[in-house]
Amino acid sequence: MSSMFFMIFQVIAIVLVAPFFDGVARVLRARLQSRKGPPDFLQTYRDIIKLSKREKTVPKCSHWVFRYGPYTLFGAGAALLAVIPISYGSGTLAAYASDVFVVIYIGAMLRFIFGAASIDSGNPYAGVGGSREQMIGVFVEPVMMTSLLVVMLLAQTSNIAEIQEMVRHGEIGYQMPAFAVASISFLWAMYVESGRNPYDLAEAEQELQEGVLGEYCGADFGLAHAGLILKQFAMIGMFLSIFEPWSFENPFLALIVFILKAGIFYVAAVFIDNFGPRYKLLTSFKSNALAALGISFISLVLYVVGV
Amino acid sequence: MTHVYLLYLLGCVVSLLLYKQNKIAAKVGFSISAIASGYGIFYFLMNLGGTESFTLGKNLLYNPTFSLDPLGNFFSFVVTLIAFASSIYAIQYTEEYEKKGSLAVMAALFNSFILAMLFVLSASDVFWFMICWEIMTIISAFLICFNDSKASLKAIMIYLGIAHFGGMCILGAFLLLANQSGSLEFSSFASISMTPVMGSIIFLLAFIGFGSKAGMFPFHVWLPKAHPAAPTNVSALMSGVMIKVALFGIIRFCLWLPVMEWWGLLMIIIGALSALLGVLYALTQHDYKALLAYHSVENIGIILLGLGTGVYGIATHSPTLASIGFLAGLYHILNHATFKGLLFLGAGSILFRTHTKDIEALGGLAKKMPITAFSFLVGSMAITALPPLNGFVSEWVTYQAMIQGAIGHGISSRAVFTLSIIALALTGALAVMCFVKVYSVIFGGTPRDMKIYEKAKEAPLSMVLGMLILVFGCVAFGLGANVVVENIMTVVTSFSDPYAIQANTVITSPLGSSISMPLISVVLIGALALPFVIIVAMKADKTKPIETDPWACGFKYNQRMQMTAGPFTGDLRKVMEWLFRSKSTVETDGYFKPVKYTNHPKDIWWDIFYQPVINLVEYSADKIGYLQNGSTNMYCAYILATLCLFLGISHIL
Repeated sequence: MSSMFFMIFQVIAIVLVAPFFDGVARVLRARLQSRKGPPDFLQTYRDIIKLSKREKTVPKCSHWVFRYGPYTLFGAGAALLAVIPISYGSGTLAAYASDVFVVIYIGAMLRFIFGAASIDSGNPYAGVGGSREQMIGVFVEPVMMTSLLVVMLLAQTSNIAEIQEMVRHGEIGYQMPAFAVASISFLWAMYVESGRNPYDLAEAEQELQEGVLGEYCGADFGLAHAGLILKQFAMIGMFLSIFEPWSFENPFLALIVFILKAGIFYVAAVFIDNFGPRYKLLTSFKSNALAALGISFISLVLYVVGV
Repeated sequence: MTHVYLLYLLGCVVSLLLYKQNKIAAKVGFSISAIASGYGIFYFLMNLGGTESFTLGKNLLYNPTFSLDPLGNFFSFVVTLIAFASSIYAIQYTEEYEKKGSLAVMAALFNSFILAMLFVLSASDVFWFMICWEIMTIISAFLICFNDSKASLKAIMIYLGIAHFGGMCILGAFLLLANQSGSLEFSSFASISMTPVMGSIIFLLAFIGFGSKAGMFPFHVWLPKAHPAAPTNVSALMSGVMIKVALFGIIRFCLWLPVMEWWGLLMIIIGALSALLGVLYALTQHDYKALLAYHSVENIGIILLGLGTGVYGIATHSPTLASIGFLAGLYHILNHATFKGLLFLGAGSILFRTHTKDIEALGGLAKKMPITAFSFLVGSMAITALPPLNGFVSEWVTYQAMIQGAIGHGISSRAVFTLSIIALALTGALAVMCFVKVYSVIFGGTPRDMKIYEKAKEAPLSMVLGMLILVFGCVAFGLGANVVVENIMTVVTSFSDPYAIQANTVITSPLGSSISMPLISVVLIGALALPFVIIVAMKADKTKPIETDPWACGFKYNQRMQMTAGPFTGDLRKVMEWLFRSKSTVETDGYFKPVKYTNHPKDIWWDIFYQPVINLVEYSADKIGYLQNGSTNMYCAYILATLCLFLGISHIL
């Protein structure tokens, strides 16, 4: 049962800390773009609290899919964080929920709610953003699945907690070419899923990710925004727990190390997303996705021929 | 089992007797079939592991014996489950058809359709199997006829044409098999030995024959035509159950024949193709019933992935692989029947209240039909395999089975399994896109046609009840996965080796990965409670939200501005243009008139596989037609010539 406690603990800890790293990323991005930016690293907390005090408007036409959208978005993001084994290991009760497919399909649930809420809002831009989000899913899903499939085949299990321990003990790992190549393509998939430039831009143009949230305001908007940050953390966490799982045995220390690592990834992504333009979905994005798919197929071929 | 069969027969006879009292006949007929199905669900579930048989009159042709083994019981359970929901649904739904045809006949046909399916499942010799099989086809064709229109007649002809071809293949397979065993009894087919070539021919014939009925690629063309044409309670049965009866045939043949590895791999390849192409074509549909029919193609593909893995497992003598493969296939059969039945019933409710099948004319219906919207949402989430609903569990088992297959040696099998897993994942992503589109364009946003919207209201009681039964099924088969798995394993162990798959609430695949559905739902519910706690903790503003028009960049909002089904999948259509070959037409009539834009993607396989055959038939009929020139003298000459020919032949002989 203690594993369930740690599961709850890790979710709450990350929920509390994640906006801090978002604040760091925002300050850093502002500096890189020679803007003044937020005064300190706590701006995202202040934003969310300020939003929660505001009154709300909702489109007349929307029904409960839109109105409870932020709650379900946030909930799905939190559930993603819960099933990633950070502070609990294999063989525990909590590990029965920590499966690669559970993560993938909770991710699909997030996308489902996102898309349904975007059309339900009746907003023209939100609909375009929802469609774009689905297309990103279609591009990313094969790459993600191929990379994870190679890992699952090498580990002969789909339980993330067990895969993590195998990598930690060196039973599978970078000594296997298929695993090493899969890590590259999964890194790409993770980066795209975390909604950053050049593939997406979480707080910019109307038809992009945030456009879907265009009709939300007040506490709803704050929650949806926080939910997206959670999703980004979960995607980074998925990468870390499989391809970079080395950490302490002690659950508290492991959680602290995880948050630091994930935070570094989250902030470091600023260096990529600050340079270079945003890609168009059907041209540059598509060719990028094909390249990533090619890499993931190389790792698959390496597995199939048994290297 | 005779009680269940007799009840359906009773329903059939009683509703025909009430032919003059049209309304009462429908109520009574569908009520009896609901009672029979309710009893059947209970009966087949209780006797799942047992075998039972009865003989229907010794003097009839070929001494007809009908027997059910665990596999037959399982399929009978699925049939009665969906029949139960759609019978209850039909009680009020059929009011729609009061003017179009005799409801008494419809109720009688409905009862006998279910009965025919049950007879197919329990037939134990070739003759009666084929008879029941064809009766099932014919009755379903009659039921489609209730929606009398040009399109439905064409749909019926296509359906019957493909069913005919399939029936011929099945009969060929049966006769070859009977020739090998020397008897028409099914019991003589078990553990029969034959040459690999002969076995392969029989398998291919059976696979094509049953597969064409199941709607697998490339025989899928009849589904999106016939299912939308049928009355909804019938399409729920056809799409939910009838195509599964065909899969029952495939499983039967694979258990009789000495299976080979490539059969399993072929099933997996065809399964992966059906899944991908089914969902891709579904995405471009604007008729929601055709869309659901294409999703049946997709799900048949997913089921074939599981069954193919099972067949591969038998062929490679790895019993655990066979068990998990069949478990995956059978579990998805049950789940697909449940959620596809639910989605079709939901679609029927929309049609009942709006009288349009075009997605683009609907919108905002959730406010008028909240329960239908909720049921449809649950169905959509189940078919896109979102946890903790039932679709997720069976896809998880399918993935596990295929990973288990992929870790085996042999490059070709590894390649087939891994590529099919990726195809399945891609199918999942596309299915999400598709159901986001169909759910939210129908139920969300602003109404696109105010006239339709104003008239719409919640479906009547019995229809709502029918949907809610299947909603309950979707949730229960997900949360109670361990119970379902335990029961299906009773069926699987009747022809394959058992292995310990479940303990308490945990399901374990042979790989060793395990999930617990109750735990996952607890995690999800807990996570969903978190934002509510946060809102309270932050003392968020609690005033009621102000309702406004959606923001339109400063313009006056108009409902024509919102997203519709076509553009939502526009990017995908552009990427997949080679598959859809859609022809878009743009009509402009002056600057101030609205531009008319149409875009109709085609099913290119129709042109590739079917059009040449149709052309050939038409061409040869045209040529033969010269014989029939209407002149009596010529006909006399034909008779004379034939007579001379026969005389000549007899002289030579």
